[in-house]
Amino acid sequence: MPIKMSRLNSIREVEHLREWLREQRKNITTTVMVCGGTGCRASRSQAVIDAIGDELSRQGLNPSVRLCVTGCHGFCEQGPVVIIEPGNIFYCHVSPDDAFEIVYQTVMNEEIIERLLYTDPVSGKKVRTESEIPFYQAQDRQILSQNRMVDPCSIEDYIVVGGYSALPKALNGMTPADVINEIKSSGLRGRGGGGFPAGRKWEECWEAPDNEKYVICNADEGDPGAYMDRCILEGNPHLVLEGMMIGAWAIAAQKGYIYVRNEYPLAVKHSLIAVEQARELGLLGENILGSSFSFDVDIARGGGAFVCGESTALMASIEGKVGEPRAKDVHTVVDGLYHKPTTLNNVETWANVPSIILNGSSWFASKGTQNSKGTKILALTGRIKNTGLVEIAMGTPIHDVVFNIGGGAVNGNLIKAVQTGGPSGGCLPVDKFDLAVDFDVLSEAGSMVGSGGMVVMDEETCMVDVAKYFLEFLQDESCGKCVPCRLGIDRMLEIITDITEGRGTPEQLDLLEELADTVAQTSLCGLGKTAPNPVLSTLRYFRSEYEVHINEKRCPAGVCKALITYQIDPDKCTGCGVCLKGCVYNAITGTKKQVHVIDTQLCEKCGICRSECKFDAIRVV
Amino acid sequence: MLQYVNVNIDGAIIRAIKGTSVLDTALEYGICIPHLCHVPYLTDIGACRLCIVEHVVNGRSTVTTSCTLKVEEGMVIKTNTDKIRKLRHNLAELLVAQAPNSRAIQDIALRCGVKEVRYPFRNDDCVLCGRCVRVCAEVWKACAIGFVGRGKDRHVDYPFGIRPDFCKQCESCIQLCPMTIPPCDGPMKPGEERLCGQCESQLILADEMVGSCVLCKLGEGFGCGRYT
Repeated sequence: MPIKMSRLNSIREVEHLREWLREQRKNITTTVMVCGGTGCRASRSQAVIDAIGDELSRQGLNPSVRLCVTGCHGFCEQGPVVIIEPGNIFYCHVSPDDAFEIVYQTVMNEEIIERLLYTDPVSGKKVRTESEIPFYQAQDRQILSQNRMVDPCSIEDYIVVGGYSALPKALNGMTPADVINEIKSSGLRGRGGGGFPAGRKWEECWEAPDNEKYVICNADEGDPGAYMDRCILEGNPHLVLEGMMIGAWAIAAQKGYIYVRNEYPLAVKHSLIAVEQARELGLLGENILGSSFSFDVDIARGGGAFVCGESTALMASIEGKVGEPRAKDVHTVVDGLYHKPTTLNNVETWANVPSIILNGSSWFASKGTQNSKGTKILALTGRIKNTGLVEIAMGTPIHDVVFNIGGGAVNGNLIKAVQTGGPSGGCLPVDKFDLAVDFDVLSEAGSMVGSGGMVVMDEETCMVDVAKYFLEFLQDESCGKCVPCRLGIDRMLEIITDITEGRGTPEQLDLLEELADTVAQTSLCGLGKTAPNPVLSTLRYFRSEYEVHINEKRCPAGVCKALITYQIDPDKCTGCGVCLKGCVYNAITGTKKQVHVIDTQLCEKCGICRSECKFDAIRVV
Repeated sequence: MLQYVNVNIDGAIIRAIKGTSVLDTALEYGICIPHLCHVPYLTDIGACRLCIVEHVVNGRSTVTTSCTLKVEEGMVIKTNTDKIRKLRHNLAELLVAQAPNSRAIQDIALRCGVKEVRYPFRNDDCVLCGRCVRVCAEVWKACAIGFVGRGKDRHVDYPFGIRPDFCKQCESCIQLCPMTIPPCDGPMKPGEERLCGQCESQLILADEMVGSCVLCKLGEGFGCGRYT
């Protein structure tokens, strides 16, 4: 579709372009949407895209059937995912070999391919359409649902589905104060982790006396297990851009940055393309849509340091300095990037802005709880059946997320805890699952919503080991500038390592608690202040596990290697010899048809024998 | 013309010069706040965190470093509450466990009431206070040394480990380094580190008068408020 897209000089021209684009697309009878998000790409969706594309051109269907490579649909576990409209037909685990069948049967003859449909693990039935899948039904997808209709590399797609309607509305009928009031009354809070009210931030920045101001989109997402910002930026970069434009108009900023880590190549590429396209249409640049508002966005690529997600470290990094935080006694809304007032928001926060302006604050505030409004995207991972990105209304109980959307535990294990908020968050035990996903409720309970990572753990997870994992992560990622974070985390890790290796003493638990409190209170930046959360929350809810490690020198979950031994159950062992062949340390001895024995001196506890044994004869004690 | 603001530090209403830090103001008026990375003529970075105080705003107190906090009209600061003393004690304990071979660090530990160290000692020769890096960059504009690495690997070094020509060997870095004076008994061998204990007579004094200054000799070379 060779369109001559030229600069838009007024708000009416946006509407004309939208009408014209919709007119152009009337001839498209069928759209095949293939997920090109990172999760599906890892399951080779690029090959599926190529195969379907080849097949469509071979059948000569090209003008009337459109192949749309979209951003993430959220159900990453079932990838690569293909959706065919009209009909909303949902195919999962599609391989390149299925391309012919999909094109010939479903696109041309409107027949369903049963084999590729999703099977509901609860009822065992095949599900035909995307909207009938329980994983999606239990969600409230406001932002993620926009991903599925839009090719992230096409500004036309975004405009066709109604994008760039909020910006003209803000520029035309609303003053900056109106925009800020709208955001304030919507109750939108920062989605990056802190949960600071976005409207208040904007207002303080607007009030700051300076002619030069900045807006920044924080896409330096580094939590283990979280990837919602990545998927928004990869899947719908114009949504984020539009949010930033509205924010810039409200606070009178002339320049914006998207700070994205270079490890997200697709997000970098798509946001670069989006900025270029917006510039071509005059949505970025001088006198946007004929108004007096001028604004431009640049992409700043980060080196992938976790600490650069902290606002002051991020700004230092954009300035070209070492990404280290500084004291924030004067807030960044007054003294931010290049010592100018700066509004920094997370990707998801910016993505929420256009719909608030378009639909009004009361629409947004109708979802959620008293103090946490709207929806939140969670990255649901861990030992559950359905993993992926889920979007829920704030206030949904954790129980619903884990069991209704996540589908419960794999292998019939018991779910023990859920870790929310990444390394800054904490672990909540199963009896706290009735708590709502809400900024205040979760921080009250010792965890946090954070950026929205949600890792589900079952009985085979050792909570001391979990705390150790997060401490190791934080020790690697701490910038090392201040004493409590650098030395405090190091010492906490030292103590926890002692505990997991059987050298722990009861006094160390008190010391650990005291030290965690000191680090939380005295650290320079948010990373250090929240670093002890994994330790404090596991100590609060799973103290007994720590005590078992210390007093009985035993790891109940069978994870901490120094405290476990592998044994062969003589009653179950048939002497098949599979474990003997599998053992790389030659620690297993025994003759055929006789009970085998593990030499604990030689055993390195790698667990290969246990996974190889078909008779469940190998126990961890 | 200098502008003044009134601040309340530990109940005393102090007329402070606008634009100065809470730490400078307190030291000038003889309120001792332990500090390590602060040097009067260098920018403050808040790295050692020893100078933490409670800043009370609308009845809610936040813990923050006084070196990076600028005085403001009507500000209420508490430098010596139980909470602050305990946190400071824990920070000093972390420092002395890391680098016991410095009289300055030993003295800070003493002043912050550390009597026992609950962590295994390490024999590091740098606490990354950044005095040397800042004096090189800010006073001599040389930037011949800087921080290299992140987190655990952070250390002070020349660019790429080689002394550059623009290092004039002025030795300002050495003069400001808190690690240069060993404890009275001489350097401790690895594995034999301990709390120095030479200042025990002073420790008793510190015990009786909670939070009081023990008038250590080291304060003199250390920019302590009592000596400036």
